[in-house]
Amino acid sequence: MEESDNQLLDRYAAKDETAFEELVRRHQRTIYDLAYRMLENHADASDLAQKTFVQAFLHLGSFRRESSFRTWLFQIGLNLCRNAIRDRARLSHENVEDYPLVAAEDVFKSVSDAEVRHRLGSAIRRLPERQREALVLRVYHNHAFAEIGTIMSCSEGTAKANYHHAVNKLRQVLLGGEKKP
Amino acid sequence: MSCHDIKEMTVPYLELDLDPARVHEVTAHLESCVSCRNEMESVRQVLVLVKLKDQAVPDPGERFWQDFPEMVRRQLSPPFRRSRTWPVWPAALAAAVVLFIGLWLLMAGQPSEEFRAKGSSTPTSETTSEASRSSSTDDLPDLTEADWDKAWDEDDPDMVLVGLAAPLDLLTLDRLFNDI
Repeated sequence: MEESDNQLLDRYAAKDETAFEELVRRHQRTIYDLAYRMLENHADASDLAQKTFVQAFLHLGSFRRESSFRTWLFQIGLNLCRNAIRDRARLSHENVEDYPLVAAEDVFKSVSDAEVRHRLGSAIRRLPERQREALVLRVYHNHAFAEIGTIMSCSEGTAKANYHHAVNKLRQVLLGGEKKP
Repeated sequence: MSCHDIKEMTVPYLELDLDPARVHEVTAHLESCVSCRNEMESVRQVLVLVKLKDQAVPDPGERFWQDFPEMVRRQLSPPFRRSRTWPVWPAALAAAVVLFIGLWLLMAGQPSEEFRAKGSSTPTSETTSEASRSSSTDDLPDLTEADWDKAWDEDDPDMVLVGLAAPLDLLTLDRLFNDI
């Protein structure tokens, strides 16, 4: 039977080096995935994923096990992503609402269309920070809204609202929904 | 339930995040409202499309995943590693003690010129300073009355010293200042 994260953390606290490796291997792909979706290139994602684990193990004493170790890693990773994105000063200048809308059409007809996929990627990139985080955590990592709230340090309701707004904005861009006043 | 209410509940409805009573109300509304049904379908398609993009993260390769824990470890100083390294302060303390003892031996245990010249065994610091004191006073040349008078006539205290020291040779001067 596979050991739980908490059991591995206990072994790590008892200076068992193999527990460290097992914990990292268990979560490395998930954290890299989060970092890649937020930063969109391998170099930054790799760097940020490593930093996430370094921060986690350096501050293990402050992990009270009220949430899962995975959720805690997501919290750290997301904070690092926010800092990285702010450093780039990319999102502050653009907003999805400024993106030209396409004509309403059946999205399924366009799924294979590279242009639509590109448009979707651009639209996700231009979402406000919190909405994008909620979307990534919900759609790509299947977190429950309560967990998203914990990771984003907000209430479950706020997490839901951010996700709701994100989906609606993507819908506007992709399908040409309601226009800005 | 109005169309506006339905619009607010579209995403929670598709995400199965509504309580059963609400789900029933929304479903009933959708069955009778083409506009809301189209709206719901378009949001559903967006969600499907977004999820399809899930495959967009390229796999960096098995080698990367194999090396990843080691890359993290290199940036980390885990507790079990820290405990294996020697703490700095005992080494610093030991160095300070050795330096102090060395200086003390150098200052207090150095044989005087007389002992070296007479070929005697290494004296203790007590005997050294005593010997040094007695030999210094014994060897001082006598000053004449005229020398004293000349020295006290000078206003500048430094000149008094200079005047007193003038008849002394360098070796005697050195011993004198050491005693002082």
